[in-house]
Amino acid sequence: MKLLEKASRIYLLASLLIYAAVGIAFFWIIKFMIYDEVESRLMVEKQDFEAYVRSNDTWSNNSYFVENKIEVVPVFGRFDNKVAFTDTLISNRYDETADPFRQLTFYTLIGGSPYRVAIRKSMIESYKLIEAISAAMIAFLGLLLVSTFLFHRVLSGKLWKPFYDSLAKIKDFDWTKNKPLETVRSEITEFNELGDVMEKMASKMQHDYRSLREFTENASHEIQTPLALINARVEQFIQSKDLGENHTYWIEEIYHAARRMSRLNQGLLLLAKIENQQFTEQENLDLSELALNKLKDFEDILQHKEIRVTLQSAGRLRKVMSPALADILLTNLINNAIRHNYTGGELRLESGVDFVQVSNTGNPLKSEPERLFERFKKESTGAESLGLGLAIVKEICDNCELRISYRYEEPVHSIRITV
Amino acid sequence: MKILVVEDEKGLAESITDYLSREGFICEVANTFWQADEKISLYQYDCTIVDLTLPDGNGFDIIQTLKKIAAATGIIIISARNTLEDKLKGLEIGSDDYMTKPFHLSELNARVKSLIRRRNFGGNNDMTWKDIRVNLPSRKVFIQDIETTLSKKEYDLLLYFLSNIDVALTKESIAEHLWGDNMDSADSLDMVYSHIKNLRRKIVEKGGKDYIQSIYGIGYKFTAP
Repeated sequence: MKLLEKASRIYLLASLLIYAAVGIAFFWIIKFMIYDEVESRLMVEKQDFEAYVRSNDTWSNNSYFVENKIEVVPVFGRFDNKVAFTDTLISNRYDETADPFRQLTFYTLIGGSPYRVAIRKSMIESYKLIEAISAAMIAFLGLLLVSTFLFHRVLSGKLWKPFYDSLAKIKDFDWTKNKPLETVRSEITEFNELGDVMEKMASKMQHDYRSLREFTENASHEIQTPLALINARVEQFIQSKDLGENHTYWIEEIYHAARRMSRLNQGLLLLAKIENQQFTEQENLDLSELALNKLKDFEDILQHKEIRVTLQSAGRLRKVMSPALADILLTNLINNAIRHNYTGGELRLESGVDFVQVSNTGNPLKSEPERLFERFKKESTGAESLGLGLAIVKEICDNCELRISYRYEEPVHSIRITV
Repeated sequence: MKILVVEDEKGLAESITDYLSREGFICEVANTFWQADEKISLYQYDCTIVDLTLPDGNGFDIIQTLKKIAAATGIIIISARNTLEDKLKGLEIGSDDYMTKPFHLSELNARVKSLIRRRNFGGNNDMTWKDIRVNLPSRKVFIQDIETTLSKKEYDLLLYFLSNIDVALTKESIAEHLWGDNMDSADSLDMVYSHIKNLRRKIVEKGGKDYIQSIYGIGYKFTAP
């Protein structure tokens, strides 16, 4: 949920609650005041009535009142001499509705006998007043709610705009490029401080990235140069005419180890470079087509190992990614499928709009399939295998948002790459 | 043929010059950027081998200067950096070849020779050794003046041998020369063996001698028996 929306919702909810409480309180206050008024008037009338009865000592019901205001009923037997206010409904004489009245009931003696006297006052007017006031209040409170809500929205939107602009810039920021991060400046100190901090962090990130990159390159150089020297010296050494069988064996071993180390170094550096996202160039590539072309580079070895190649295409997998990485990915996949194949085996290349799959015949895995993509996981103990090929494949997939899965159906191993 | 080797690692520079001197080239070494800069402005070379990372400068700058004063000089970059950008940049500013360290001296030798051949004859020449003659533009091979049909890999192999006469070549360098360095499986060594066998058979069939000598544990040598 966006900040603005969340703030609006909380604001709306809180104001609704407060306004409702205010409305209800207001209603009760008005009601109380009107009752108070009506009751005090009834009390005055009671005094008038008692004064009249005292001076005349009689009461005739013939004094005609529109609203049947005073009702005097003789009481027989015991009664509780009490003065009470009650709400009551009296049917209207002219139409069939029942109108609300406030009634004051008390007992008095007229001509020596007890009577119960009820004095009433119509509440119709008062109720109408309450209704009118309530309606007006709901309308005003509603209007106030809506207008403050809208005002709040617009204001927050304006206030937060520099924040959102900066956020968009941060999102676009790419630490692999040299372009510095520039956040939006505004009148608000907090946002400016945030911008300063972000800019500092961004430039630190760029700096670290650059030094890491330089380090990887320098490390490569520093290690490859002595290896090149070993290689060169061995090559010079084997030119001498009088090498015994022992010597050539040792030389061969040294040479081999140096080459292995160099390849290992290159493999690890490649992994580091992929992890550091140093392959930034992007192109829209047809991976199916590339895989097919790659396969042609391996023609000789396929022929040599008498591996049958089957192609199956149900569409082309297109993907925007670094061409260098795509090349390494496919080379490693095919290399893997050839290395772990046996003479006379089969290699199948399948592709669809959302996948490329390389399958090969081969012996069952000795280790768990989940560990297949780990570094230095070697199936064969052959010194030629570095155990980095599939780790590199996995790393590339992780970096290019491709999914990779492995399946084994005797005797075919399949590695599938899906978008 | 004069060659300048610009390489800060003294041992490696020495190995390269030793190896190339055996092949009849006159080699000079520059260990620093400024030495190299001075040498290229004073003398003329047929080919320059340049390391990109020098302690006091960048190999790219040397290449650019060289291209200005002596455009005819062939340039081969040797570098530990194997990024595509470096390779492209190298070719863009006028180098002819790019080799990643560690490389095989025999491969460097073959490339230097091929580069000089291309520069001097525009590739329009023959390569002759004993009774073997290779017409480079048409890729035709004659043994005692009889044409022999070789597969593409056999032809490449023969050319590699002819560039490295009397030199012990490792199986690995041959495999890498033929298939590049992404074919690093043990199978490629078997394939080298079978291509050598075929090439040897084809040469002998046409009346040539068996020039390919096996060196136990190491590789092969192309030499007059």
